[in-house]
Amino acid sequence: MTLVLSAGGTTAVTDTPNAPAPTSTVSPQLVGFLSIVHDAGGLLGGYLITNSWGRPVEFRLTTAVSPNKVQQILYGPTLTEYLHADLIGKALVEKASVVPGLIVVDALPALALRSRVDVPVVAVVPRGNEVLLASGAEEYVSLANPRSPAGVVLPAKFAADRELIEKRLEAVDPAVDLSEPFLRVREAVAEARKLGVTARAA
Amino acid sequence: MQPELAPVSREAQPSEEAPALGVASRLTDDRDLFDVLDFPLDLRADVYPHPRFERTLAATVKDVRLLGQAPWVRSAGKLELAIQSEGYKFPAPPAELERPAKPAMEREPAPGKHVIDLPALPDGEEPPKKKLIRPLPTADTVVFKDRLLYLLQPPLDGLFDGRQLAVPFEPFPYQLEGIAFLMPRHAALLADEMGLGKTAQAILSLRLLFHQGIIRKGLLVAPKPLIHNWCRELKLWAPDLPFEVFPSDPELRRQTWYVSNCPLKLINYEALSRDAETAADPNLFFDVVLLDEAQRIKNPGSKTADAVLGLHRARSWALSGTPVENRPEDLANIFAFVEPGRVPPDASPKDLARLTNGMILRRTKDIVQSDMPPRLMRDLDLDLSPGQKYTYEKAEKEGIVHLNSLGETITVQHVFQLVMRLKQICNFDPLTGESAKLERLVSDMEEVAASGQKAIVFSQWVEPLATIAAALEKFNPLQYHGRIPQAERTPILDRFKADPNAHVILMSYGTGSVGLNLQFTNYVFLFDRWWNPAIEDQAINRAHRVGQKRPVTVTRFLCTNTIEARIADVLEAKRKVFNDLICQADKPSSMGLSESEIFGLFDITARPKRG
Repeated sequence: MTLVLSAGGTTAVTDTPNAPAPTSTVSPQLVGFLSIVHDAGGLLGGYLITNSWGRPVEFRLTTAVSPNKVQQILYGPTLTEYLHADLIGKALVEKASVVPGLIVVDALPALALRSRVDVPVVAVVPRGNEVLLASGAEEYVSLANPRSPAGVVLPAKFAADRELIEKRLEAVDPAVDLSEPFLRVREAVAEARKLGVTARAA
Repeated sequence: MQPELAPVSREAQPSEEAPALGVASRLTDDRDLFDVLDFPLDLRADVYPHPRFERTLAATVKDVRLLGQAPWVRSAGKLELAIQSEGYKFPAPPAELERPAKPAMEREPAPGKHVIDLPALPDGEEPPKKKLIRPLPTADTVVFKDRLLYLLQPPLDGLFDGRQLAVPFEPFPYQLEGIAFLMPRHAALLADEMGLGKTAQAILSLRLLFHQGIIRKGLLVAPKPLIHNWCRELKLWAPDLPFEVFPSDPELRRQTWYVSNCPLKLINYEALSRDAETAADPNLFFDVVLLDEAQRIKNPGSKTADAVLGLHRARSWALSGTPVENRPEDLANIFAFVEPGRVPPDASPKDLARLTNGMILRRTKDIVQSDMPPRLMRDLDLDLSPGQKYTYEKAEKEGIVHLNSLGETITVQHVFQLVMRLKQICNFDPLTGESAKLERLVSDMEEVAASGQKAIVFSQWVEPLATIAAALEKFNPLQYHGRIPQAERTPILDRFKADPNAHVILMSYGTGSVGLNLQFTNYVFLFDRWWNPAIEDQAINRAHRVGQKRPVTVTRFLCTNTIEARIADVLEAKRKVFNDLICQADKPSSMGLSESEIFGLFDITARPKRG
């Protein structure tokens, strides 16, 4: 792991292949926002960790990955979940220097991350996706919260997280809209793409 | 085993042994024909293992070379999916600013009837989403990690709605835009028109940067009379931000420069000029230096300008409602601080806009607040009282004769002295004490007080203020000018705001025209006119500023057929051009009166000798 210090600015933290994941204790007051972005180069992940009132603490992003035809055939229907949860989500969470008390994702397939990490995971439901939710009603548990006007969902397999999630959401500043940080993440990812950072990480 | 031979007999019984190869059966059938001899023939075969057959069979596969190579076979490629990631950690704020101060608890409702805002019933349509206001990286921020510093900051909209940061009231959207302008910039001039809240915008920008850990040391330079005002505003807009004012004692000041760890330090221009050598010490470095009333450094080479330019800093922010107070060069001189080397001292006015592009934010009340109460200008032309008129005509006649007698030795100061003398007579007749303006002011103040309102009276001189105060005794006048000790000034303003019986405050342009928030007053009287319309505007904008709920009536007293009317004509012509100072390329060379214009005020033939 390489650390480049910058006075008064962000500190770049680049991981090297096969580097051991940092061992960190959970910081309950932090919230992670994981967004998987589709672009021309494939899927790439952006992961923003903020404090309870939305200020950035750490940001990570991945290189883009685009499964080829053979990979699509071999992974079959498990491919989407594998990409979201195992390949991108888990890698980002494990590489980050801090572990948040709650991870918020903006896509339902990324909810599978919960079974790979020991942190509660919820998804914000974008307006208009109620139909999608209804189709997998038995897979998700809905949770109303003022910080997400359309509510949040968690995997039904981990319904026991509900109480902890409610507690950690309660600690988030009421002015924070859970869907807002994803705009920032996408903007940062777009900026990274523009400046060639996503290619440089590969 | 070898077969045993035995003799053949006719009576021989058929052998139990099976005949070999069918021959025996035929022999049996033909028994009668032949003598059959029993011949024990045993042809059993024994099987013996052979090493060759003990080996298991194995097929050897050999690639056909032709089919293992392109283009006959295409590789399936890498089956494993892999990514790499890159991370950025954000600076941590100092421990004391880790958590913002929580807004004050809401007061318990008083007993009695209350009006309750009922929530609006849903009408099925979502309200249109507001565009979020966020500090964005500037075009000259090219390194990705530096751009991230601002890209990933939360929008400003939610920060000041009373839930996260304690603020007296939620800033207006244009103020949030001002904060979003200042925060990411290392070189910036906030040139909003007076009264739009530059102070609040600057304080909130500093507060957020301190909270984010982006800055840790700041220096604020302001005119001495405004330091108290800054302290008050800092307590109001950034109660969680520790600050310290440089003391007047030189030794204590030295400690403040070198020893104090206070995040934000406040110093006035005069003290900074005296400490110029210390301030220029390279060991003293500030993450941000903020200049209030930045036009104070408009004169290059002055002690003030040199002291300010000598400060070692990462961010240079300037605040000024009148960045071009007199000449376009004023702006170039302010930019010598904002971004040294960007604007050459000899830059033409036409180039200024291009050179300063993206670094100046200028808003006027017309642009940002169409719903702000209007400013009603009332020019009150008054005739001099008989006594004043006699004194005035006599003084002017004698003055002109005197000026002409000076011939080539005349200077602009001679003319200036006469102007001042005549203006003072327009205020008060020195012989009789008569004053047409004061009579009218007393009459107007009756109306102001009767309606429970408050007024500000501005004059160029301090002496007339005492006379005016005596005449306005029943309105409990307060005085605020250069002769009032610093320590007493803030209490005077507080009393003016709080005391319902104090209907009027008398101010000199020099002390009261900048940095004060008196938006609870609705009347402004300009007892006499200043030389520069920008200063008059500053004075008027003490009352006509953000937070003002009612129209502000500005009364400009003017004695007809006097020097005041002549000066007003010249200034009015300039004011039209002045309004476009920042955005117009063809700026006037001066906003005040030039030497030739001062000479032109009188019908005199004498002119100074040149060369």
